[in-house]
Amino acid sequence: MTTQSIICTQGLTLYYGETRALKDITMRVSDRNVTALIGPSGCGKSTLIRCFNRMNDLVDACRIEGSVDLHGKDIYGNGTDPVEIRRRIGMVFQKPNPFPKSIYENVAYGPRVHGITDRARLDRIVEESLRKAALWDEVKERLSHPAMSLSGGQQQRLCIARTLAVEPEVILMDEPCSALDPIATAKIEALIGELKRQYCVIIVTHNMQQASRVSDCCGFMYLGEMIEFGETAQIFESPEKELTENYITGRFG
Amino acid sequence: MTDKFHAEMAEMQKRVLEMGFFAEGMLRDAVEALMTQDVALAGDVKGRKGALSSQNDLLEEEVYRMIALYQPVARDMRAVACALKVIASAERIGRYGKDIANVVIATTDARANDLASGLSIPHMAGLVLSMIDDSLRAYETGDLQYIRHHSERDDVVDALRHTIFREGITYMMEEPRTITRCMNYLMVARYLERCADHSCKIAEKVHYMVTGERIEIK
Ligand SMILES: Nc1ncnc2c1ncn2[C@@H]1O[C@H](COP(=O)(O)OP(=O)(O)OP(=O)(O)O)[C@@H](O)[C@H]1O
Ligand SMILES: [Mg+2]
Repeated sequence: MTTQSIICTQGLTLYYGETRALKDITMRVSDRNVTALIGPSGCGKSTLIRCFNRMNDLVDACRIEGSVDLHGKDIYGNGTDPVEIRRRIGMVFQKPNPFPKSIYENVAYGPRVHGITDRARLDRIVEESLRKAALWDEVKERLSHPAMSLSGGQQQRLCIARTLAVEPEVILMDEPCSALDPIATAKIEALIGELKRQYCVIIVTHNMQQASRVSDCCGFMYLGEMIEFGETAQIFESPEKELTENYITGRFG
Repeated sequence: MTDKFHAEMAEMQKRVLEMGFFAEGMLRDAVEALMTQDVALAGDVKGRKGALSSQNDLLEEEVYRMIALYQPVARDMRAVACALKVIASAERIGRYGKDIANVVIATTDARANDLASGLSIPHMAGLVLSMIDDSLRAYETGDLQYIRHHSERDDVVDALRHTIFREGITYMMEEPRTITRCMNYLMVARYLERCADHSCKIAEKVHYMVTGERIEIK
């Protein structure tokens, strides 16, 4: 793959208190690409993805060794602002979590926090973000309605729009479809395919077929380790590691 | 993938293997009928063609059903893909058996026996049948030792076909009345050579199934 790497980890190890949840992870994530992380429950997928935007800072007793570089600069280095990192690396969660506000305000929230007050400019950002999240046509007539009035799939796309509104470079998604039906899931998957033209997308999923459908690269994790990381097509045709093979063919546990 | 898939896959592998040996049996008996000028046996081989086709159709359908239901990946996907290819090659091998049986029926003649033997056909047939047998054993066990020398064995078979061709020409020049029969035997040699190719195809797919690596055996 010729795309440039945007995030690189080097010997990334993470402890929750005494427990080591990530072990010596070294990987490169390509820009304008979808990278999927798969692995059994508790293997550290969410922990890893949360390292990428310093969400683990919020967890007490969490300690990190090694480095995570964004465009060659360590995001855990001195003088890095976690808030700025979280703007540049947005996150979408498993359960859609819109704020109890209007559709418009959900999207405008981030830009406002970052100091944009001009109404016309906000309008533009809201429309653009909703369009990119493939939600505009469905909500343009009711921007002032509460976000909670949307369906689950729409709420998830709203959360994606909210992430896009602050112009991130990377979008992290932790099981973004697990609370959605197949049609809403298909829409999110199509959206991911669109987003990768402009962004780096990293998605955690329990759905192996989803990983094989949406991603270009795929990492298989087990007990805090990155067992295999490579091109998705290769991993699903003939993985190098026995453990990966056993997991993706369901011969596990 | 579920245990259900793996159980069904094991069952399917068994049936694919049965079809493979069924086809190999057709070829073996056709060659036997040729050597002994046993028209009854040749007729019997011909009669097995229907069963061969229906096994082919059933198993093919079964493969599609499994793909649709389980969408297998990795080793499982390769096993399903391999099954599909083994079925196709087995079907071809069985049909070449039937073609040879047709030659026997068309050319029955007491002197034919000598002629076919003179043409190194039994030797060639023995090599081809053992190649088929080994490629099916490899499929059955996943043991690539069986197909380690398939490429060299195929070369020997190819060379034999050329030898038989030259031998045939000699016979035909010496005795023009043998031309029809000789031509038929040259056809048989060609069928046998194609069967060896199909055994190589099976070997390639078994190699892919086991290792994930695509190779060409030629
Ligand atoms: N805040 C925390 N404090 C202590 N341990 C934690 C914390 N969060 C996660 N862990 C532990 O770290 C390990 C990895 O958890 P993580 O949530 O990253 O797994 P996961 O791969 O995302 O699993 P799942 O597929 O179930 O979401 C687990 O053993 C978990 O119990
Ligand atoms: Mg998780």
